[in-house]
This record gives sequence, structure tokens and C-alpha cells, in this order.
Amino acid sequence: MIGKIPLADVLVVSAALFAIGLAGALLRRTAIVIFLSIELMMNAANLALLGYGAALGTVDGQIAVFFVIAIAAAEASVGLAIFVALFRHTETIDVNKINLLKW
Amino acid sequence: MERIVFDAAATIALVFAALMVLSRNPVKSVLALVVSFFFLAVIYVLLFAPFIAAIQVIVYAGAILVLFLFVLMLLNIRHEGSGKDPRPIQRIVGGGAILVFTIVLVALLSKHGTPPGLPPASEAAAPHIGDVARAVYSDFLLPFEALSVLLLAALVGAFVLVSKEHRP
Repeated sequence: MIGKIPLADVLVVSAALFAIGLAGALLRRTAIVIFLSIELMMNAANLALLGYGAALGTVDGQIAVFFVIAIAAAEASVGLAIFVALFRHTETIDVNKINLLKW
Repeated sequence: MERIVFDAAATIALVFAALMVLSRNPVKSVLALVVSFFFLAVIYVLLFAPFIAAIQVIVYAGAILVLFLFVLMLLNIRHEGSGKDPRPIQRIVGGGAILVFTIVLVALLSKHGTPPGLPPASEAAAPHIGDVARAVYSDFLLPFEALSVLLLAALVGAFVLVSKEHRP
């Protein structure tokens, strides 16, 4: 229990968010939406980390989430730069049409 | 009270996350994710992490997702083509795999996710924001400094990737 919230509920919300993100990453075709889904999956993991951190009364969960958010910022800037470069090259960011490396 | 706020915030976050995946327009997807992240920040406050909630709103919803919006507007991406799917079987198998994964994950976490014999956590015993700062600048000082180098590298990398000069 965290206050009045059971830890299991936090974990179920986190699992549901992760599943939604996974569905987006696997089923959508626009590269940017796939990237957004990956951000959502990271947030689901953050929620689980904070839930365990709060339930165990330690600071480690918050530290881990702090580093995850900073790395997500770095990853977003590089990833979006790759999309811009890719769009200049192929005029699309539909992942089914980007098959430069396919034998 | 906490219970009601948690349930409401979790429901809204999940609904808008689903809208993000279902929306055909990428701009609407980003905006739905902003709402979802905002309500996740509400849940973070309930989990005694006000600092993380603040950077969730400022850095995630405020900076990272706005960067996504900028790039979407810059590239002027139209709606996802509603033409026929070039890989229908992949889609069905993917959907089935996600369904199985979700059922297994939710069942496992709700049953065995909580360690047995855990005492209930209270706000008074929870780590304060000062404890977070102390940990970052003592035990986690080296990763913290490495992070600043990583952010600099990402900045330079993004510049190199999008600049038109110096093409070999």
C-alpha cells in the first residue's frame, strides 16, 4: 500500500500503458507515432519504478526515473534528427516504404 | 480521496494513450500523449514523487513532445495512408502477440508483483526532495556528470545529422 493505493493497482496501470505502447509500436506505420509509442512504454516503466520506490520507501526509484527522462530527451533529439534527415532523403517516414537496407 | 484521484487519473491517462495509438492524424497523437503524460504526473504526485511529477510536465510534456510537434509541422506529414496494408498477416500476428503479452503481464503483476510482507508506505516516511538531491550529488555523481556529456553529444549529433554541409 502506498498511502491508500495498493501497489498492485499501480503495476496494472503500468502494464496496461506498456501494452498500449507496444501495440502502437507494432501496428502503426508512421515512424513518428512509433517513436511516440516507445516514449509511452518508457513512461509505463517509469510508473512501475516510482511505484516500487514509493512502496519500499527508497529514493532509488526516483533517481532511476530522473536518469530515464534525461536520456529520453537525448534520444528524442537524435531520433527526430534522423527522421528529418530520412525525410530529406526519401520524402516519406512511412516505415513500410523505408527499405534502404533491405537486401 | 486519494483512491478517487488515482482511479480518475489512471483512467484518463489510459484513454488518451489509447487515443494516441488509434488516431490517424499524427498531430492529434502527440496532443493526446501530452494529456496522458500530464495525468501520469498526477499519479507521480500520489506516489510521493513531486519532483519527478514536475520534470514530467516541464521536460516531457513541455519540451520533448513539443519537439515532436515541431518536427511534425516541419515535415508536414499527412494522414497515414488508408490504402491497403502491404503486410496483413504481420498485423494479425502482431495483434495476437500483444493480446497474449498483455494478459500474461497483467495477471503476473497483479498476483505476484507485490513483495509479501511489505509494510504500508506513508507520506511522512517517504524520501523528501532533498534526499533525491543528496543522492544525485553523492552516490550518483558520476552517472549524473556522464549524463551531461551524453546530452552534449546528442546536441552535436543532432546538428551533424540535419546539417547539409560536409557531405562526404
